[in-house]
Amino acid sequence: MSHVVRFVESTITFPYTRSLGPVTGAFMTALTEKRILGIRCGDGVLVPPMEWDPATGAELAHDFVDVGPAGTVASWTWVPEPTEQHPLDRPFAFAFITLDGASTPLLYAVDAGSPQVMANGMRVAPRWKGERVGHITDIAAFVPGEEPEVEGDDLGPAAEPVTMMDYLASITYKNPVPPAFDFVVGASADHRLIGFECPVCGRVYAGGRGVCPIDSLEFTEEHAVDLPHTGTITNHVVITPVAYPGQTETDPFARVFVLLDGVDVVLGYQPVFNLPVEDVAVGVRVKAVWTPPGEEIDEGGTMGGAFGALIGWEPSGEPAVDDLDLTNRIF
Amino acid sequence: MSTSDDIAVVGWAQTPMVRHTDKSEVQLLMSVITDAIEPLGLTRADIDFTCLGSCDYITGQAFSFVGNLDAIGAWPPKRDSHVEMDGAWALYEAWLRLQEGDIDIAVVTGSGRSSTGNPALIYPMEMDPYFLAPIGADPVTFAALQARAVIASGIADERSMAETAVRARGKGTVDELLADDYVRQPLRRHDLPPITDGAAAMVLARGDRARELVDRPAYITGFDHRTECHNPSFRALDDSPSTRIAAEAAGLGSAPVEVAELQAAFTHEELLLRSVLGFGDDVTVNASGGALKENPIMATGLVRIGHAADHIFGGGNRALAHSTSGPCLQQNLVCIMEGRS
Repeated sequence: MSHVVRFVESTITFPYTRSLGPVTGAFMTALTEKRILGIRCGDGVLVPPMEWDPATGAELAHDFVDVGPAGTVASWTWVPEPTEQHPLDRPFAFAFITLDGASTPLLYAVDAGSPQVMANGMRVAPRWKGERVGHITDIAAFVPGEEPEVEGDDLGPAAEPVTMMDYLASITYKNPVPPAFDFVVGASADHRLIGFECPVCGRVYAGGRGVCPIDSLEFTEEHAVDLPHTGTITNHVVITPVAYPGQTETDPFARVFVLLDGVDVVLGYQPVFNLPVEDVAVGVRVKAVWTPPGEEIDEGGTMGGAFGALIGWEPSGEPAVDDLDLTNRIF
Repeated sequence: MSTSDDIAVVGWAQTPMVRHTDKSEVQLLMSVITDAIEPLGLTRADIDFTCLGSCDYITGQAFSFVGNLDAIGAWPPKRDSHVEMDGAWALYEAWLRLQEGDIDIAVVTGSGRSSTGNPALIYPMEMDPYFLAPIGADPVTFAALQARAVIASGIADERSMAETAVRARGKGTVDELLADDYVRQPLRRHDLPPITDGAAAMVLARGDRARELVDRPAYITGFDHRTECHNPSFRALDDSPSTRIAAEAAGLGSAPVEVAELQAAFTHEELLLRSVLGFGDDVTVNASGGALKENPIMATGLVRIGHAADHIFGGGNRALAHSTSGPCLQQNLVCIMEGRS
């Protein structure tokens, strides 16, 4: 399997919805009112407010204090090339801003135009978004001067206290496809199922697992063996879809674990066809279902499902196997 | 001198440290574990406990450490653990586990393919999710703000930072580096760590087993780690009290160390840590080049411990290794090792 390693790019989004609790919730609610809250902690005022004293861990009374809205830059750095996560899409400063009445600085973006404008001790004030939802980015940025600004029309405060916040993170990764997986996906285009036989323990692994995890050795092409296209369902799960971003399924569906004949390790989380959910059972004999010849195949690098031209399994018509031990086979 | 309960580093290995590898994390670990145990005459069957340090956010895959177990040889079943931290913390857990006294050999790893994603986008996700992550508060920004504080306190200046970079990487001149533009004022490119892919594995042994395996084990005589508040704006950035406390608890004050390996990914961090630990010119700091030369995320701290252990293996008496995690040196771990005649 000496070849140029292929990389697969995947973008993973994390659509978080978080509960805020009584302290952060109060802070976020106040933002919709164009107010910034701190919390009393001893003789000081912490901004953003904490639920606990960072020095002692003691729970703080919910003794909120309005701070700012203007403040003084305590320290800063210039961001010449913003990322898509930053609040501004043009060069800006990140600054520690000590809001009037606060004893700790808030990290935030200052829309200053140029680093020459920035200086410790300079005064800044928030530029609010017109539509505020109770999120830290309701502050579009801080701007030089004493006077808060509002972008566009001011749509006013939130009608109800803010208790939740959304945060969508999105990161793109590039991962190498292990050579063994590439080899197996390539063979699947010819409707061949390839496995690997460990030269030490003799176990046969289906799918693109490129190592024997027991003997900790990496397989090469010389360990490849052709596998039969029939096997037995050893375990299954029926999934009732819930709505989440990216979910396209609406009806309950099954994923099955298939132990190929003469193989030691199951193929997990395989789709099934021509087998109603209520008929999925341990012991059902199945055969491979392939992408029709000539159609494009999925060369993605994910493990633990169908791969390449193998798109799933359907009943083979053979009698079911009656073996309680099959349910032990999930990996 | 030594007792039957002593625990020592007896060997370690690292993969080639490269800007971009085409190996998967399992492949990196498979080879590096073999490289660590084979010179000791050990096989995977001899390993009683494993602890892996890695990070799902870097890999982009939930429970990625489960897949990494393929490199361990976990059959028959092994005692195993994982830390979502640098391998230095995995070593700490293994050190604790060996103190139970019922097993003798532990292997720990640290692994990360930093080139898999964009660190400037990934690391904000590990921040406070309410105030910091949503504004993309990236580590270089925080490092720049800490560098300003360290410079303001007189511990460093831009020239001493450039000198640190030249010494770590062995290339360029201070004046050349200082002519470069700022990435985040007052940090220039040379003040930042490289992006590095790689992994490290280390073998710990207890009691008589350590002495059987090597002539001069690196006995761990002190180990401690401390953390500070998650939000750097609540901390004094020109100090690292958690490092100071961890070093005291690990026994730094009881005898001098000859060498120290500090996980300082930014030039000012090395200068700050030297100052906090009270090191004079008699302590050789980061002779390896440190994290400024190679920065394999999740293995960088474990590699520090490895280089410090090498000093003992080579006949040295006492060495300190430091590892850190979180923005602006939020968490700090100190490991002190000694050799015995």
